Amino acid sequence: MLQVEDLHAGYGASEVLTGTTLTVKQGTLVALIGANGAGKTTTMRAISGGLKPSRGKVVLDGQEVQGLDASRIARLGLAHAPEGRKVFGPLSVEDNLMLGAYGRLPRFFGFKAKAQADLDRVYELFPKLRERTGQAAGTLSGGEQQMLAIGRALMARPKVMLLDEPSMGLAPVIVQEVFRTIRRLKEEGITLLLVEQFAKSALEVADYAYVMERGRIAVEGTPAELSRNERVIAAYLG
Amino acid sequence: MNPSIIGQMAVSGALMGLVYALIAYGFQLTYATSKSINFGQGELVMVSAFFSLTLLNLGVPYWAMIPGGLLFGALLGLVVERAGVRLALEQKSEGWILLSIIIGLFFFSAAENIWGRDDRPFPTPISADPIHVLGVDVTRLELSVAVGVFAIMGAIELFKRRTLLGKAFEAVSADRDAAELMGISATRTVMLSYGLSGAVAALAGILVSPITTVGPTMASALILKAFSVAVVAGLDSGFGVVLIGMSLGALESLASFYLGSGWREAPGLVLLILALALRPNGVFGKATIRKV
Amino acid sequence: MKRILLLRGAELIVFALLATIPLLVVNPYALGLLTLLAIYGILLIGLDVTVGYLGQVNLAHVAFLGLGAYTAGLVVTKLGLGMGPALLAAMAVGLLLGGLLALPALRLEGPQFALATLSFAALSTTALNELEGLTGGAQGLSLNRPPVFGHVLTPPLFYWLCMALLAVVWMLMRNLLASQWGRAFEALRDSPIATDAMGVGTYRHKVAAFALGSSLGGLAGGLYAFNFQYLQPQSYTYDLMIILLLGVVLGGRKSLWGAFVGASVIVLLPNLLSNRLLFQVFSGLGFAGALAAGLRGLVKKTTRPFQALAPVVAMGLLVVGGLLVENTEDWRKAIFALMLFSVVVGLPEGLMGFLALFLARLFRVPHAPLPAPSDLDAVLPAHPADGSPLLVLADLKRYFGGVKAVDGLSMTVRSGTIHGLIGPNGSGKSTVVNVISGLYTPSAGRVLLRGAELPQGSLFLVARAGVARTFQNLQLFGELTALENVMVAMKDVYRSPLPLVLLGLARGEERRASADALALLELIGLRDQALTKAKDLTYGAQRFLEIARALARKPDLLILDEPAAGLAHPDMLQQIGIIQRVHQRGITIILIEHHMDVVSELCDTVTVLDGGKVIAEGTPAEVKRHPKVIEAYLGQPPESETSGVPAPEPA
Repeated sequence: MLQVEDLHAGYGASEVLTGTTLTVKQGTLVALIGANGAGKTTTMRAISGGLKPSRGKVVLDGQEVQGLDASRIARLGLAHAPEGRKVFGPLSVEDNLMLGAYGRLPRFFGFKAKAQADLDRVYELFPKLRERTGQAAGTLSGGEQQMLAIGRALMARPKVMLLDEPSMGLAPVIVQEVFRTIRRLKEEGITLLLVEQFAKSALEVADYAYVMERGRIAVEGTPAELSRNERVIAAYLG
Repeated sequence: MNPSIIGQMAVSGALMGLVYALIAYGFQLTYATSKSINFGQGELVMVSAFFSLTLLNLGVPYWAMIPGGLLFGALLGLVVERAGVRLALEQKSEGWILLSIIIGLFFFSAAENIWGRDDRPFPTPISADPIHVLGVDVTRLELSVAVGVFAIMGAIELFKRRTLLGKAFEAVSADRDAAELMGISATRTVMLSYGLSGAVAALAGILVSPITTVGPTMASALILKAFSVAVVAGLDSGFGVVLIGMSLGALESLASFYLGSGWREAPGLVLLILALALRPNGVFGKATIRKV
Repeated sequence: MKRILLLRGAELIVFALLATIPLLVVNPYALGLLTLLAIYGILLIGLDVTVGYLGQVNLAHVAFLGLGAYTAGLVVTKLGLGMGPALLAAMAVGLLLGGLLALPALRLEGPQFALATLSFAALSTTALNELEGLTGGAQGLSLNRPPVFGHVLTPPLFYWLCMALLAVVWMLMRNLLASQWGRAFEALRDSPIATDAMGVGTYRHKVAAFALGSSLGGLAGGLYAFNFQYLQPQSYTYDLMIILLLGVVLGGRKSLWGAFVGASVIVLLPNLLSNRLLFQVFSGLGFAGALAAGLRGLVKKTTRPFQALAPVVAMGLLVVGGLLVENTEDWRKAIFALMLFSVVVGLPEGLMGFLALFLARLFRVPHAPLPAPSDLDAVLPAHPADGSPLLVLADLKRYFGGVKAVDGLSMTVRSGTIHGLIGPNGSGKSTVVNVISGLYTPSAGRVLLRGAELPQGSLFLVARAGVARTFQNLQLFGELTALENVMVAMKDVYRSPLPLVLLGLARGEERRASADALALLELIGLRDQALTKAKDLTYGAQRFLEIARALARKPDLLILDEPAAGLAHPDMLQQIGIIQRVHQRGITIILIEHHMDVVSELCDTVTVLDGGKVIAEGTPAEVKRHPKVIEAYLGQPPESETSGVPAPEPA
């Protein structure tokens, strides 16, 4: 569903990605782990178009999308829940969610009716959001904002969803809840690429995983394989 | 001093102040999406007013002229965005300040040569006879300014809150990158905001022209006060510009009465510099959080 | 010697030529133009201070020209004083009013600043018009050139006076730009945050620079008054302001030569517009130039299509207009607009910026030899470290909307230790650092350094109080060399008052600053790359340089925000070595780090944060065993979230 080949990208003169290659098959959950500064978030941004790759290919559902505007890639079916959540603070929870489905809703009127089914699905997944429908997103707690960011990405009915550090800055209890949600998304058959600093938890939910080091993939394999890999154990799993 | 005269001056000044508020609102529209404003907005007001006058002279009825004028204003707004703003925004530079001033200068010179340097009357079907409301005399013409200002600001605010496109507009102003990830094209949203801002400027021109007459310099004083209003109120509060605009208009009309008409401009400028010293983000503005 | 000749030769030749002109040319019209050239030269050098060096669009400069002109005029007509006092008064008015405007206005950025200056200009025109008793209002004000030392100033004498003043201004500005001030201007445009954090004071430098530029505007105004001997408020309006901006941008920002070229263009423009044939030739040349540059840019793909095509269209309009329009004077504003548009879009560096590239290729100017590095013990005297509490945080809180980034944090950093601060991403580490260093104001709680309350919410004041920091996302001054980056931050060296700096009498402290900075570069192993621009250094070198720059503050407390982030293994070892060497000098360090190996290697004490709260504190070994830490990391020991780099060898 998503293929990344030999991706190079960076900020200004410094190249952060030096040839990243990875594949996410339909209906699977793929984890991307690695040290801070290894290029995980940069990979995500280069895939979703926030950062233009200098070289390499990104293929989404058979179509090359590298170099397109982020908004175009999003409308082609890629939803990216970014690092730091990035909810629209002044807008209400419901507006945030509906904007997640922007690409397939009517622009002026009647959009709410059309979005209702998806809204209900998200509220069912995150009952807390239903309680806060009309509240400004910026006033939610960190955990609720993360739920909203995931819900917003879901609203797009994406072909592939990128989840960048969903556990960032959250208390352990909330992190467990986030991982329960991720497992649930996986059960629903959503294709997911997950970046996580908690390598062990990420490997527990993933079907396949890549380990990044200094801008490229260092090791890859199923979680079982990686859990047996000496190098990965020493560096990430203790 | 006769309190009824003070009241009279204050009310008609405040109604005039709504025009400043409307132009300042045009700044807010573009600032929201792109953190940029058109420094040549005054020229859009003036050129649109001339264009509308030409439509009237060609025999277009007043009410049919209004959409024509608004459309023309929107078009000019798009020109400013394309020629002056987009490149600078892509390069993350502040070149748009200079470029929008330059484009304004070009419009000014063109208007001067196409329509002449003289002030011309702007005919209107709305009567200038005073009517008596709550102890003060106002003309229908002055009231029409208020109606026009509130109508277009209300319509745009409704658009922002009730349509998905409008919410997308708000999303871009809250977080441009995140909006892009939702499939909202930031470039198009910025274009939309410049178009709307141009239409708002055109309406300001159409509303104010019957009172002030039309001429190349008609907007030079207006725009300065609109700048003051925008900065004093902050660049993100629609309610703020209306309040500050009306207060400034009232203050100004009192100042010109007591100090002499030459000092008309002074309150706005003094207010501006005071506000900058005390509340750099505007009285109704939000403080920004710096990140490293 | 060759260096001096290369650098100063052109200036000497041009000024010598200009000085002899009155002896050769008797045409009064030409002499009048050259006098104006000198006046506009001074005016544009002043404008370039804000537009070029501060990088802000300043629309008030024309007001200072007007205020200076009226001040000089009034001093002569009302007070009956001579030209010297009049010019001094004009400068003083520029300096004072410039300072007064800058104090509120320079707290603003970009558009708000432009608006504030625009309003000031409008207010000053209003005042000149309305204070009829003083200025004569719209009637204008006539004055005579008072004699100087009994000599009547004939046109050639007045011309020499103006040129001499331009030469003096030129020299003073050159000295200023070659000093710490010049570096500070570069620094604050690259990173205002780092400039403040290095104790330089972005705001006060901006205000001083603006006031200085305005006083040059006032001086030019005084000369302007004596040149025309008749003043009217409407001479100093928006239109002239646009022309001045055209001059600076076309000539080239951040360049004395640029101001000179710009002034020449301004002086010649009216002549150009009054002659139709000349205008057609000129616009044709402009069109050809834009076309050539545009095509070259498109073929080489160095510019965006818009950038290449828009000037061609604008110049094309100018050519067509030149052929169609009878009287070019009527369209002068449109002509200015088209020219300015082409320059801003197509040649943003201006003529001198463009020429400078060529000249740099033709003449290679060797850099002045560097002094020998100072003794490190003199630059960074060893601190006595007694383990007493140096920094105390008491119940510190910082909320952003509904997110509690720091939520009641208390900790004590003891002097002479390396105190680690760790925790998962988003646990509040960076926010804590930003609160201590003054970037954020705490929502609640106290920060004490040696028992005294640390200033809140001001990077600059905290830096002055003895806290230095580095930045996780590098905040180097990219356009400055490695050496200059360190020199900007150097504490306790720049003591000369501004007048001495302007006269070029502060070279001694410059030498000392660069010797001290070299010693710090040696400490981090970058002495060989002292003259490389920071943006051209390798990533690792940039991380090291951040530390050297912070050390130039001679800090009591050094905060290192993820100094090893993204470093390759050899670089990381080197970085650990650097931190150890710094520590040996007795400097207390707060180390924020993700790599547990680095933390274990370096830290005496570690505080672990999660969700904005402290969950554990102790030695690295204790912390690693702490049940809460293990729990917060979901059942793993803390190494789990660190890199694949094996534990480094002790240095």
